[in-house]
Amino acid sequence: MPHVSDVLSGRDIGKFANLQLLAKQVVEGFCNGLHRSPHKGFSVEFKEHRQYVPGDEIRNIDWKLYGKTDRLFIREYEEETNLRATILLDSSGSMAYSGSRSNGLTKHDYAVRTAACLAYMLLQQQDSVGLVTFDTKVTSYVPPRARPKHLQAIVNQLDKTRPANETELGDVFHELANKIQRRGLVIVISDLFGDVDRLLKALAHFRHSRHEMMIFQIWDPDELDFPFRQWTQFSSLETANRQHLVDPAQIRKAYLEKLQQFREKLTSGCSRHRINLVPMTTDQPYADALAAYLSVRRKSR
Amino acid sequence: MIFGNPALAWGALAFSIPLILHILNRSRFRQVEWGAMHLLESVVKVNHKRLRIEQLILLLVRCAIPALLAMCLARPILTGAQMLTGDAPVSLVILLDTSYSMDTASSGVPRFQQAVDAACDIIESTGRGSEVAVIQTGGSPTPVFDEPVFDATAVVRRLKSLQGGYGASDMQQSLEVGLAALANMSPVRKELVVISDFQPADWNGATNAADLIQQQIAAMPLKPEVTLLPVGNPVTGNLSIESLQFSNRPIGVGQEIAVRAGIRNFDASSSSNVRLSLKIDGVEQSVTQVALSPNSLTQTLLPVSFDQTGSHVIDVQLAADDVLETDDRYSAAITVWDNINVLLVDGDPSSQPLKGETDFLAVALTPYSLGRLKLSDLVRTETVTASKMSAKSFNDYQVIVLANVPRLSDAEVAALKEYVSGGGALFVAAGNRIDPKWYNAKLVTENGLLPCEFGLPRGKPDEQVSDEQGHATRLVVQHFDHPALQFFNDPANGDLSSAEFTQWYELLPVDDRSAVQSPGNSEQDTTSKQSIRGANATIVARLDNGDPLLVQHSFGDGIVMQFASSCDTDWSNLPMRPVFVPLMQQLITTMAAELSPPRNIDTGAAAVVLLDDVQQAGEDPTEASARSSQTVTVVAPDGSRRNIKTLPLKRKQVAKFDGTQRPGVYTMTGPDGQPVHFVASTSRQESDLTTMEEVRLSGLAEELNAQLVKSSDDYLEQDRLRRNGREIWKYVLAALLLFMFLELVLQQRFSRVRI
Repeated sequence: MPHVSDVLSGRDIGKFANLQLLAKQVVEGFCNGLHRSPHKGFSVEFKEHRQYVPGDEIRNIDWKLYGKTDRLFIREYEEETNLRATILLDSSGSMAYSGSRSNGLTKHDYAVRTAACLAYMLLQQQDSVGLVTFDTKVTSYVPPRARPKHLQAIVNQLDKTRPANETELGDVFHELANKIQRRGLVIVISDLFGDVDRLLKALAHFRHSRHEMMIFQIWDPDELDFPFRQWTQFSSLETANRQHLVDPAQIRKAYLEKLQQFREKLTSGCSRHRINLVPMTTDQPYADALAAYLSVRRKSR
Repeated sequence: MIFGNPALAWGALAFSIPLILHILNRSRFRQVEWGAMHLLESVVKVNHKRLRIEQLILLLVRCAIPALLAMCLARPILTGAQMLTGDAPVSLVILLDTSYSMDTASSGVPRFQQAVDAACDIIESTGRGSEVAVIQTGGSPTPVFDEPVFDATAVVRRLKSLQGGYGASDMQQSLEVGLAALANMSPVRKELVVISDFQPADWNGATNAADLIQQQIAAMPLKPEVTLLPVGNPVTGNLSIESLQFSNRPIGVGQEIAVRAGIRNFDASSSSNVRLSLKIDGVEQSVTQVALSPNSLTQTLLPVSFDQTGSHVIDVQLAADDVLETDDRYSAAITVWDNINVLLVDGDPSSQPLKGETDFLAVALTPYSLGRLKLSDLVRTETVTASKMSAKSFNDYQVIVLANVPRLSDAEVAALKEYVSGGGALFVAAGNRIDPKWYNAKLVTENGLLPCEFGLPRGKPDEQVSDEQGHATRLVVQHFDHPALQFFNDPANGDLSSAEFTQWYELLPVDDRSAVQSPGNSEQDTTSKQSIRGANATIVARLDNGDPLLVQHSFGDGIVMQFASSCDTDWSNLPMRPVFVPLMQQLITTMAAELSPPRNIDTGAAAVVLLDDVQQAGEDPTEASARSSQTVTVVAPDGSRRNIKTLPLKRKQVAKFDGTQRPGVYTMTGPDGQPVHFVASTSRQESDLTTMEEVRLSGLAEELNAQLVKSSDDYLEQDRLRRNGREIWKYVLAALLLFMFLELVLQQRFSRVRI
């Protein structure tokens, strides 16, 4: 029976524990200068006043304001429920790549670990976490739950997934955007390979559904600097008979340029949609990258 | 395009190495399962064509690099490239044939002119900073300049005024001198050019010594390029006076001397009625017609007589209209003696005619005077008895004869010794009255004046000489090397063996007495000329029992001749024989003549004149060294004048002139105004104007590892090729470096490595 420790080492968990402690401190309002103090549980966050219309609950009328203005206003609060996070894990073929510098981990392995970390962390915070794995279509769906035992279900599912098939993020995301009705946090862990425009449209769809989005883009270092020297036959991980025999030294610059374009396009598209895009490379400890992201996110809030 | 090292050109096949590497690389590729295919594919699709072209270019550049390297090593020589002139400084030595055969006019212009023009062309084409040396090979190799010259125009100017006409070239020696000169020159490119008409005779030595020359070349750290440049076409039809022979015997005024002229006809056709004129001191004396048969030597006797004493030049000239004029004339210097004073010291005088010891000798030496003939005798004799000998001043005589003189006083011996060592001639004859012990003690042991001791008397006295009894001995007749007896090598001039000797003294050489005494050894000593006292004493003639009859040696500056028998009829019948007169004449005059330096010399030998006759008389010999030196003017054949100072030597002043490289007449005029002529002559082997055939010439070039060119233009062309070859080599190297650089740049550019 798979366990958290299968995908997370003790050290990794330890790191999270610290983070969690930090998050806890944030939640409890110790760092007042930095954060508003969000109350967990019931939503009490004031949003706006609006004029009373018949049918509104009387208890929501702001009597103090009535006293001042002699008009009836309704106090509206932002609804603040427990965070519903859905982790979308890409298990397409391209995630199976493993370079020489990634400590033997494929991108998928890395992604799985990242997902486990996130799930663990979120569950620790009493948030509900769901998991969707997909390639060309959704392959599995674990609905969000907040029970601590739910981690086991997620880890089981993570353990089962194997990278295969092509990627078509656009269609999958459209499908998922329809499926995930309740608004929440959508965490995408993928290399995002595919048509950027369609991807961005799908992401926009998510955003349209008022989901908050966070994308962990998994890179292998080889994909970023293309270090090959001798003649190489590149065969596609996703499609069986697509292969190219090239002298890597020759096309290197062009490749890097193309890569740069791709990343810029993604970055600009994501920032347009206010999506956090976090590139991660498999040679860095995933926990470190995750921790670094979380601290960034904490600051930006 | 030709290659200096053609074998290395195969190295160009190394171009295949990058090709093979490329193919190997392509076939041994690495396989990568790649995720980011959409990035890669877009790149590959867009750049596919460009990549292929770039690959091809890079491959071509890489293939070119080893090919260029191989080309570089193969030293390619680009033929037909005219654009480069070799400006590199060069060490250039030109061996210019200045032998007289170069005066031959072939195709209008003398060969020498052609050679000079070719040399000038070559010198003018040398670049700045080149060192040039020109060596004249005629006679002995002589550099035109003492040091190699940098100024090409100066060399050319000098060459234009150069005259040929020297003696035969010794090409072996010339090559050695040239190579030695080349080794001392600084520019690294060494060129040796031989400009000659390549007569086979000149090259015999060089052909034999080809190995030596090759060794000399091999020993040089920088190998020279040797080039042979023949000038002139082979011509035939040359007539040449090959030799002019005459007796070395002194002659007097009015005496006739036969000059034998050897004329060689190199033509295949005979020439009749060729006019041969004889000039004495420039005045034509006689003209004869000679007929010359084809390819042969014709000898003609020309009688010459002189009506004045002194030094004369006879000049024999062929009036032939042939290609080479230089060898149509031949000159010789002849000294006509006033007279030769001979003092006869009679040790056994007699009042009866012909009974005195020297009577026969006096008659033999002055036959005309005694015969009351009109002709004058060269020799003037004076006879004294031994007792009155001391009254005479020896220095007035050229020759002193001691005939059967028993003994001399110590003062006489001392005077005689001084006379001989100062350049006098002494003839000592034995006889019944001599005291051998005294001779041996005083003249041989104490003073060394005589070459041999008198040993035991031999033969039987007072006995009737007859052949049958075998007591008498005769003179061994063989080929005589001694100049006095060479006359008798011709049997027509008398038979020396006709005289019989009944008594004689054994002559014991001082150093080797025992060898002559032992009969066994005497058999081996029958050579007429043998050294018995170092190189000093020579046996001039022997008796047929092996005993020396005439022994000569030099003493100081003079000569002494010792005669084992007597001069009268007591011990032999020699004076009764007809041969006695010429024998004594020859002996005495030759002794006198030998003491004067030769006037007919080989080119390069020193012309020496002794100025002693006038000043010496009556002067104290000790003052000789104190006398100031005199000035002698030398006029060379080309008209140049030089003054030389004489050097005192004993009682004489010696004027020595070394610069006789040019054949011709040199005239020395001393303070007394009497001209002394010298004739420097050279071998006439050059007169054979045939040049080496093509085959032999190329054989020679091969032996010397030399290059054979047709003309100076040809040489310059070849030279340019050689130089351009090197230039091309450099350019290929530059291209190689460029390609290597290009490869780096292209690789950078194409692959865009950015780590």
